[in-house]
Amino acid sequence: MELRIEGVGTRLGGRWVVDGVDATPPDGALTGLLGPNGAGKTTLLRLVAGLLPPERGAVLVPDPDAPGARATVPVHALPRRRRARHVALLEQESNATVPLSVREVVALGRIPYRSLWGTDSDDGAVDRALAAASAAHLADRAWSTLSGGERQRVQIARALAQEPDLLLLDEPTNHLDVSAQLSLLAFVRDLGVTTVAALHDLNLAAAFCTHVLVLSQGRLAAAGAPADVLTPTLLREVYGVEAEVLVHPTTGRPVIALTGRSPEEGA
Amino acid sequence: MSPTDRPPLRPPLLLLLAVGVALLVLSVLVTVTIGPADLSVAEVARSVAGHLGLPVADVARLHDAIVWDLRLPRVLTAAAVGAGLAVAGAVMQSLTRNPLADPYLLGLSSGASLGAVAVLVLGVAVLLPVAAFAGALAALVATLALARTSGTLTPARAVLAGLAVSQLAAAGTSFVIFWTATGDSYREILSWLMGSLAGATWTSVAISGLALLLVGTVLVAAATRLDAFAFGDTSAAALGIDVDRTRWSLMTLVALLTGAMVAVSGAIGFVGLVLPHAVSVVTGPAHRRLLPVAAVTGAVFLVWADTLARTVFDPRELPVGIVTALIGVPVFAVLLRRGRGTAWS
Repeated sequence: MELRIEGVGTRLGGRWVVDGVDATPPDGALTGLLGPNGAGKTTLLRLVAGLLPPERGAVLVPDPDAPGARATVPVHALPRRRRARHVALLEQESNATVPLSVREVVALGRIPYRSLWGTDSDDGAVDRALAAASAAHLADRAWSTLSGGERQRVQIARALAQEPDLLLLDEPTNHLDVSAQLSLLAFVRDLGVTTVAALHDLNLAAAFCTHVLVLSQGRLAAAGAPADVLTPTLLREVYGVEAEVLVHPTTGRPVIALTGRSPEEGA
Repeated sequence: MSPTDRPPLRPPLLLLLAVGVALLVLSVLVTVTIGPADLSVAEVARSVAGHLGLPVADVARLHDAIVWDLRLPRVLTAAAVGAGLAVAGAVMQSLTRNPLADPYLLGLSSGASLGAVAVLVLGVAVLLPVAAFAGALAALVATLALARTSGTLTPARAVLAGLAVSQLAAAGTSFVIFWTATGDSYREILSWLMGSLAGATWTSVAISGLALLLVGTVLVAAATRLDAFAFGDTSAAALGIDVDRTRWSLMTLVALLTGAMVAVSGAIGFVGLVLPHAVSVVTGPAHRRLLPVAAVTGAVFLVWADTLARTVFDPRELPVGIVTALIGVPVFAVLLRRGRGTAWS
């Protein structure tokens, strides 16, 4: 999905947590949303998901009523159900209070397609989503028995069951072990769906993202290919750290080697 | 038992409902025969058929009166109240994402009792259902407001706030009793506090039955929206649900249902808390399955609990709330053990 973020901003408790962000994440690729804690990553994802109306600017998506035409609409102005058929958001921490099976969790993603009486027009959608997320073998497990990596995979299957054109992930690699982090991001990268993922691990972002957006105190500090954006100067200004940016000997991707905190940064 | 990897066995909804409704009809017919006056199922069936205008042999007038004027309205009220409380509990648990939510624990029942007792001593019993509804709604708003003052609405906070509101409403009720009640009205008021179906009439059947039918239908129709709350508000919103509107409209309906039930039976605990959990073990958490089955199960449960209440210490009658607590607490303990290590802890 062609996504255009135009001067978007919103306040929480009087403070501009997202302030005039302009960005055009590339179509069908993985975009990393970076920045220190409190930079506004989660709020920006909620704005892009259309769950929070922006006070300034707009997040524009293609008009689902006019496919093919170049018309765009603000995402928050779309009717809720219709929006949920195009945009899927996975929260950072999500846990169920009820004992669900994996299949039932994934079926939640079909809610935007269910009729008033709860019937789904597409029986196979849950199975396809499970298969696409390589989670078919988990289908009959109880959600509460899954490992962190398995849970993320199932959550992604739930998002895919929404058949989204835009996938928004908030810290999807949190609490995952290293191999699960790698396999999850490789999987998301290869989906071919426009994806924006908030990430806190700079090296993971550098290794997997086509494009990165760096937020600092609600503003966009930089945007572009990881190799162009993740420079020692930017890391010093945004994160307050000294780092060398190396080139990975086999992948050619940037590798960030931290050397310490910047002396002038107090916090 | 601990959570296992085995696929949960989920029988078809129609089968569960058919078994449940058959059990309910059987329970009603059998429990009407139970009591000081010895009646047979055949007599009960003939009496009911006679009143429905069917051509059957007459029943002795005294027995007919016992069936039609005393026991049947009471048993049917028990069924409607049990169903209503179970549905109310299930919906509250989903909307607050709190396995401990229930009209009783969150103060709705006490609020409704206060409303009921207040109009009772004022002598305007006609307004009783309205006052009970207003009391339940006020208690709900107070509980949620109190629980939210210090941040997000966590299950523990909601229960603590409900406890405070419960105590406040109970104190208000005690005050009303202390100030006004004498003799008979004292007894009547006491039954509102502990929950009793002793005063059930055909009017009670109408109030509870109508509330159950109307509100229950709307809640079942909202099953998909309730499902969407499984992973919380943001996740529900991302699935296309209007979270605030859904929560407040359905909560108001739950208060309406609770008000109607308390108006006819007083505050009966544990039905709304325990039954939805017990039923969801069989139905799974999907509300389209859970709500109807919880309703039928709640009906059967309260019909038998009330029968126990009025017969175990015959000729003395226990408030049915004591029986539901005696059964509910051990069941709850078992569910707590099962739920260890999941979202309950």
